[in-house]
Amino acid sequence: MGIAKKFQQVFSTVPMLGWFLGILTAVLIEYFWGYDYISYYLGLPKIPVLFGALIMLKEPMMIPGALAYDLIVYVIPVLAVAKLSSVFTNPGAALLEKLPLWLSAVIHLVCFYAILHLWAGINDYRVLVVKLTLVSIILTVSVNVINGYQGEFSCSHPGFMALGAYVSSILTLVLFTNDKIFGTALLPPSLGPYLFPLVLVAGGAAAAIGSLAVAIPSFRTRGDYLAIISLAFMFIVKSAVENLNFIGGARGMGGQPDLAPLPVIFFWTLLCIWVIHNFVTSILGKALNTVRDDEAAAESMTVKTRKTKMTAFMFGAFWAGIAGGLFAHVLTYINPGMFSINRLAEILAMVYFGGLNSIVGSIVGAVSINVLGEALRPLELFKWIIIPLILIFVMIFRPYGLISFTEINAKKLLEAKHKRQQGVSP
Amino acid sequence: MRKIAVLTVVAFSVAMLFSSLAFAARKTIIKIGINAPLTGDIPKVGEGTKYAAQMWLEDIEKAGGLEVGGKKYDVELVIEDNESKAESAVKANTKMISQDDVLAIIGPQSSKQAVPAGEVANKYKTVMISPWSTNPDTTLDRPYVFRGCFLDPFQGPVVANFITDEFGFTKAAVLYDVASDYPKGLAEVFKDAWEAKHGAGSVVAYESFTTKDTDFSSQLTKIVKSGAQVLFTPQYYNEVPLIVSQAKNLGWEGPIVGSDSWGSAELVELCGEACYGLFFSSHYAAAGAKGATKAFIDRYEKTYGYTPDDVAALTWDSLQLAQQAIQDAGKLTGRIEKDREAVRDALTRIEDFDGITGKMTFTEEGDPIKCAVIVKINNQGEFEFYGSSCP
Repeated sequence: MGIAKKFQQVFSTVPMLGWFLGILTAVLIEYFWGYDYISYYLGLPKIPVLFGALIMLKEPMMIPGALAYDLIVYVIPVLAVAKLSSVFTNPGAALLEKLPLWLSAVIHLVCFYAILHLWAGINDYRVLVVKLTLVSIILTVSVNVINGYQGEFSCSHPGFMALGAYVSSILTLVLFTNDKIFGTALLPPSLGPYLFPLVLVAGGAAAAIGSLAVAIPSFRTRGDYLAIISLAFMFIVKSAVENLNFIGGARGMGGQPDLAPLPVIFFWTLLCIWVIHNFVTSILGKALNTVRDDEAAAESMTVKTRKTKMTAFMFGAFWAGIAGGLFAHVLTYINPGMFSINRLAEILAMVYFGGLNSIVGSIVGAVSINVLGEALRPLELFKWIIIPLILIFVMIFRPYGLISFTEINAKKLLEAKHKRQQGVSP
Repeated sequence: MRKIAVLTVVAFSVAMLFSSLAFAARKTIIKIGINAPLTGDIPKVGEGTKYAAQMWLEDIEKAGGLEVGGKKYDVELVIEDNESKAESAVKANTKMISQDDVLAIIGPQSSKQAVPAGEVANKYKTVMISPWSTNPDTTLDRPYVFRGCFLDPFQGPVVANFITDEFGFTKAAVLYDVASDYPKGLAEVFKDAWEAKHGAGSVVAYESFTTKDTDFSSQLTKIVKSGAQVLFTPQYYNEVPLIVSQAKNLGWEGPIVGSDSWGSAELVELCGEACYGLFFSSHYAAAGAKGATKAFIDRYEKTYGYTPDDVAALTWDSLQLAQQAIQDAGKLTGRIEKDREAVRDALTRIEDFDGITGKMTFTEEGDPIKCAVIVKINNQGEFEFYGSSCP
């Protein structure tokens, strides 16, 4: 415990900007010397892609090499640079503190994206993992609106995702590509990247309209009915797509243009987090929480419960549709089997693992389940024992998920940390 | 606490210094990627793939490496689990190509993974051979993607011709899973082929169900009543026993014919005597095989304790094809992009490749021209060669 405390004490003076600088140094070290020098001398065949997790599980002989690589490239530079640079990153952070909070947050996010882009760009496999993780974040945050803030148990998210994926895929295939299902492109393909946001929104809107089919019958009642109706909705969507031959049926639909590079997905993820954060902290969001806690009391306090629930449900479905559209354009292939019970289990695992009623929790859940799933893949069957075990332990010790019912204070996160050092109490 | 930390660091540094891996120069190793469904819906398929690949590697290691252009190279298999999911298959392919620098990829087996994974392989210009995928889209317009089996548009007519020639029937019934890509496609092809032969309306019952259904009595009652003489059901080995026994209970007396998805060792185990005497089309027949095919089957049985499925045999052939292509490429430069291209060019030039599932020559699309086999399940429950049909 002593070391952990000491560690915390030493690094408590490092502001967010300092950590960014440290990570940037690590990424630059990896970028310039990772392959030719460091991994070479450590006997590694290549730069270990997910901090060496894959290579360690596959070849135990490589464990010392991979750990040494992590130490040399990541741990030591990050800690050293973060600590040493706090001399000038703290004044920098103080300078940013004088700006409006949103501007400071934007500057931090731009820095974060630049580092992420550089890190992922070292290997295309990283890019793919990051892309799918970001899509999962959108999905998880959107489920959290319904299962967390609204306190219902909805199972139809794969269905909404399928609607978004299919509608946006059909639109891009009709508009921007020459393919054998829909014939020649209606618009020049070079317009694709510009109109892609509209396509995604159309997919989201389709999902939101589809969600009415669940919302209208089930919100007359409370409790388990929504779970059952939404589960049925998921299967209806899947079966419907399977039987529609003009969009490929069970064979699936491929050939979507690659319109979702990393910056686009990152932008949509940020937009989703920002909009959903504003939604749940708005009056409507507060009303949603009161409906969850006590519907009768909320009604007597002039909250229109039915309208509130419907709005939130459609809102969640909309973002699931966006996630579906991005997912389809990352994989450039979809089939109805993807949006079935397995996907549902994955989504619910991410939400309940990360934490209900918290956007940060959703992000933590999505990232950890995705990264764990990827890092443990070499274990094959044991992966499916380890991940559920972790989930069970989380449910026992933190029944509402890792980070639930809390939000991170952006101002506190980004502020300069030298005040405490001077004895000013925080 | 501090002592433990210091000790760990020292131990690691010592281990690093004396480990044989440190400061070793990078060698050119031929890496072959295997993208297989080791977990998920069809683990038996993944197992067959893995075992066949391991047998192949054993052979190479026994020979002391793979000889290319007079130089022996070490060979390594990179086996990745695609969890029987499309996005995992895409991730696995991307990882093997960009991280492991594989020269060629064998797999994925099912079309729903092979179609998106083929896109990745083609994008990064890496040869991919899917041993088992029958969807035309897998190789369509993808110069770097090949397959090891025949396609549904070929298999459907083969079955239709076989039934006509063997039994002389004119009325057929079809029962298939509408939610699964492969049965649905094959059912459609069969229907077209049958109706082209016997006139419109000669498929008197065309019934469907959905994946994971276990009760087929309403569909089968309709089929029995329709007056069909033969039932064609291109289903997987886990559904066939249910269909066969329920059909017999409902009074079906005609033959039931299937497709290559029947060809699993599990089929007879699950179905028992009810399946004896039935026919299906396949890639090869285990019982009564000769030559290299027999050698492969015997070895597989000896090592793993059961008769190899057609997936294992097709994977074996795909690996042999990849090996042949690598050797034909002449020499390896060590520059992976160049070598991959050379392997691809060599693969397109292969003619009359003599595999254990028949002779193969690739068309321009990367699909092999090869014969289909009609298999009879004999009274010992073995898959016996009955006849073959070549394009």
